[in-house]
Amino acid sequence: MNLMDDMLNPYYVDIVVFLIIYLLLGLGLNLITGYAGQVSLGHAAFYGIGAYSSAILSVTYGMNPWASMGSAVVITFVISAILGLPSLRVREDFLAITTLGLGLIAQSVFKNAEITGGAYGIDSIPVPSLFGLELKNVGYLLLVVVVLLAGIFVMQKMTKSRIGRAWMTIREDEMVAQAMGINTTYYKVLVFAIGGAYAGAAGALFAHKASYISAESFGFTISVTVLSMVVLGGLGSIRGTLFGVSVLYLLPELFRLFKLDFMEMKNLDVYKMMVYGLLMVIVMRYRPKGLFGKTGFKKKKRYSAGKEAAIKGGDQVA
Amino acid sequence: MLAQQLLNGVALGFHYVLIALGLTMVYGVLRLLHFAHGVIYMIGAFAAMIGILYLQLPFAVALLFAMVVSGIVGMSIERFAYRPLRGTHPITTLISGVGISIFLENVFQVMFTSDSRAFPETGITTSIITLTESITITNTKLYIIIAGVVCLGLLYGFLKLTKLGIAIQAAAQDIRAASLMGINVNRVVAVTFMLGSALAAVAGVLVAINFNSISPTMGALPGLKAFCVVVLGGLGSIRGTIVGGLLLGVVESLGDGFMTDLVIDKDAIAFVILILILLIRPSGLFGKHIEKV
Repeated sequence: MNLMDDMLNPYYVDIVVFLIIYLLLGLGLNLITGYAGQVSLGHAAFYGIGAYSSAILSVTYGMNPWASMGSAVVITFVISAILGLPSLRVREDFLAITTLGLGLIAQSVFKNAEITGGAYGIDSIPVPSLFGLELKNVGYLLLVVVVLLAGIFVMQKMTKSRIGRAWMTIREDEMVAQAMGINTTYYKVLVFAIGGAYAGAAGALFAHKASYISAESFGFTISVTVLSMVVLGGLGSIRGTLFGVSVLYLLPELFRLFKLDFMEMKNLDVYKMMVYGLLMVIVMRYRPKGLFGKTGFKKKKRYSAGKEAAIKGGDQVA
Repeated sequence: MLAQQLLNGVALGFHYVLIALGLTMVYGVLRLLHFAHGVIYMIGAFAAMIGILYLQLPFAVALLFAMVVSGIVGMSIERFAYRPLRGTHPITTLISGVGISIFLENVFQVMFTSDSRAFPETGITTSIITLTESITITNTKLYIIIAGVVCLGLLYGFLKLTKLGIAIQAAAQDIRAASLMGINVNRVVAVTFMLGSALAAVAGVLVAINFNSISPTMGALPGLKAFCVVVLGGLGSIRGTIVGGLLLGVVESLGDGFMTDLVIDKDAIAFVILILILLIRPSGLFGKHIEKV
């Protein structure tokens, strides 16, 4: 392991590790938003719950990092199911606002609660070890790769099964889904739980990699970043998420690597967000289903069809 | 103490009302959640700063300048980010709005750095007005209340007395019928965005003076809280928005004064209210009855 560590530049390894953590986040969000059509702007909450659960269990309660990471996924699964409950009452754009609110409340709790270390956060989170070897650098990379592959595998199986078809039916038309005997309550809560568990796993992996977490890492920016990545890749497509997240995550890193002279490095994050924002507008306008997506958000007959037609045809009427 | 907090709450509340009016009007006409509204509020404050600092405008003119700039920005956002998406799924427009707000916020961070700075000299010096022995108010807060009342009066007059205002009301009732009556729907929408944005600019400028601080991210939270106000008051209802805004201001102010060891920030109270309202009574206080939003 040590030889390998020397061979690979830790800096590059770190980039790949964090990329994979983002991929897991993206997969979870794509499950919720892409497959089941429940838009979430509070994905960072699930991410944070996973990270804090694992950190608290391993630091405060001295649990083995493996056990704490496993428990974190379970805890996130349960809490996400609870946080998914509003989706039963609220839909579409209001669900987005609701989840956004939940995300902000969660971050606020992270920042103020005693158990999360308040504004100081939690530090010296232990590294998991395997057969007496601490999983650092490449070892950790292998761990996250295994988790990612498992995540992709499970997601592929899920989306091609009865559960996945139920989700997609709910996305296309909830009324029809209900009429066909799909228990929409159960499946909506389930998708939040599973999507949240993906984010929880990502959070746990992040906590043990970074060894320090604070509320700052789980803000609205993360939720929006992941959403823009998933939207670019394509909703309801695993390949799309892998592509969208990789491209959008690695692009700024490339700029950082080559230290281009024409722009200031300290502004890189700002430029990054500028591009993400602009991409969201452009993708929504010209290709709402994303690059690999099979489906966009369908126009629904939420308001009277005539009203929509009138709104759309405003030019002619005028 | 209680009366003092209430008064502060009313000032804060009028600030929310000024922001939320734009959102509620846009929702009324287009059934659209206008996510980029908070950015417009920020742009208003920056426009006033530029007006005072670089164009040497007196404060009153700078305020008008800010309203005009914000109005134009609001109309442009509608033109480029929302209009091409009309008739599509509401989420598509919402994501587009999120995107444009992130884009603009970061453009301003590049231009003005992300640090907050002091608002330039306006000729208004903060002074404390003593109402009774225990109740005081700073003059800047008083200006927010006055501006809120004046803007509400003007808006009311505009909506009731002018042809365009009546057209907006008609479009809010039924946009199809309105267009059949020969109302230029696109113009109505543009005017709605312009009005709403101008009101948000007023709030932005006055708050920037009140806290003597201005930064590119200043609009993010107020913009989101405005959603809470709109939902609380009832979607599309102007009366509801006024009550909702004042209520939120008072609640936040009381929370600030009396609930000091809360596990959430005072800024998160609004979102707790939002979620409760959406779960318990989605039509809000004054909205038309809806089962589910």
